[in-house]
Amino acid sequence: MEAVPLTGTAPTEGFTELYERTFPRVYAYVASLLRDRSAAEDVTAQAFERAYRKRRSYRSGRGSMDAWLFGIARNAALDELRRRKRRAVLEVDPEDTDARAPEDHAELAVRREAVRAALASLDGQERDLIALKFAGGLSNGEIARVLRMSESNVGTRLHRTITKLREACND
Amino acid sequence: MTDALTAIDEALDTGVAADDDPLTRELQELALMLRDDAPQATPEFRERMDWRVESGFQRPRGSRRAWWQPLLQPAAALAVTGAVVLVVALAAGGRSGSGRDDSGGSSAGPALAADDSGGGGRGAAEAGGGAGEVSKSASGADQSAITVVPPSGGGFEPGRSDRKIERSVALELEMPVDEMSRVADQVTAVTNRYGGFVLNSSLSTGDDGAGGDFDLRIPSNRLRSAVRDISALADVRTQSQTGRDVTREHVTAKDRLRAARAERRSLLRRLEAATTDEEAEAIRRRLDLVAGEINGLRAQLRDLRLRTDYSVVTVTLAAKDGDSGGAGGGGSFDDALGDAGILLVAVAGWIVRALAVALPLGLLALAGWGLGRVARRRRRESALA
Repeated sequence: MEAVPLTGTAPTEGFTELYERTFPRVYAYVASLLRDRSAAEDVTAQAFERAYRKRRSYRSGRGSMDAWLFGIARNAALDELRRRKRRAVLEVDPEDTDARAPEDHAELAVRREAVRAALASLDGQERDLIALKFAGGLSNGEIARVLRMSESNVGTRLHRTITKLREACND
Repeated sequence: MTDALTAIDEALDTGVAADDDPLTRELQELALMLRDDAPQATPEFRERMDWRVESGFQRPRGSRRAWWQPLLQPAAALAVTGAVVLVVALAAGGRSGSGRDDSGGSSAGPALAADDSGGGGRGAAEAGGGAGEVSKSASGADQSAITVVPPSGGGFEPGRSDRKIERSVALELEMPVDEMSRVADQVTAVTNRYGGFVLNSSLSTGDDGAGGDFDLRIPSNRLRSAVRDISALADVRTQSQTGRDVTREHVTAKDRLRAARAERRSLLRRLEAATTDEEAEAIRRRLDLVAGEINGLRAQLRDLRLRTDYSVVTVTLAAKDGDSGGAGGGGSFDDALGDAGILLVAVAGWIVRALAVALPLGLLALAGWGLGRVARRRRRESALA
């Protein structure tokens, strides 16, 4: 296994590319898990700093760089959860930049609320899975690396969770 | 299930929920909604992060950790592990040391003890009821004072004061080669002085090496003084003493002899009263057997008396180290080779000892590190519970 040469002509060149590509998704994942914007900012910064300092320890044989980074972010988020031992909600709803007709916007808002309520009914592990898949944008294989389980197991759990969400939304 | 997951991934890639199956389409729409509803960072936070990445996450001077700080925790864990192993090793070593028996048996009855004033040696007691052996090295000691330990009243024959002890002493004396002949003469003189005799002796002082061996018999009641005087003739390199209680053998032989004699007296009376030739002949045959038994027992008792009345003393004369008496050049080279061999063995021994300590410690540390990782991971996962 070779180390990824994240050091190029400038010490942070390779890492900068990784950051540019993954920052929005890492923040989205951490914020989905912690449900607290300020805590999400702290943890996101912490995750990228840890990844920067441990960048030479990455080995391609262990999985993709995204999976490696999200593993670091996940650990930081779980440490924060343990520290706080509470579940806060997002202080601010995400911006809705989609220009829709007022009727569509209202229907969408209702649907969104239903989804958020359904998300709240999931347990921590299910919410973590949903956040990795949809907020983090990871593939099933990458999720398997992060969660240290088989890809088929991830697929099964994901299907079960999203079906449960659908039923909760329709209730 | 696989089709549904594939459809979800397609919808995420294309941004459109277009599956023919209504149920699957519903899942696709939900997936898209979950993705679109994901929280977004504020521009201010993004700007701060961009700056931190560009600066390589530089820390303010005061908040920078020293290079050794991350090593504190594993070092502390290793220190604790090492302390635990050390305590266990010391406790085990102390327990095995206290169980060591120097005397080789209980000290009952009259015993011959050696008190080495020069080397600080320990006293040794003979075993009661069995063989007891004590070896001690008295390098550099000029004299060994022999002291008698008073009978304790216990042991093989409780309260018996006429115990029969078979004693032997082995002495190794070292001296310069040119004094060996003189010392050998002195050993003989001391033996004669105390009423003993030299059973065997040999002495050589030639180029092949100097040395001597003496097999002495010395009256047991004068053993202590004789050994003291012999020890004073040169430096005592080693000294060992053994004692064997043969009282039971002696008593048994005496009892059997007494019984055999009583039987003979009885047979003689019966012979006088015999009325027929056949009866007389039978008694005579029996008398012959008893006579043979009596002779054997008397010989056994004589031998026992000899072994207990006279103690065995073996004296070995050796040239002092570095004075082998042989050819100088060859001897020095041989000595050097021998010393080198001893040194290598000692070094190898220390390496083995160090490995014996380091390997278990290393394995313990590795196990501790592994367990620590597992525990840390479980603690993290418990946050989702």
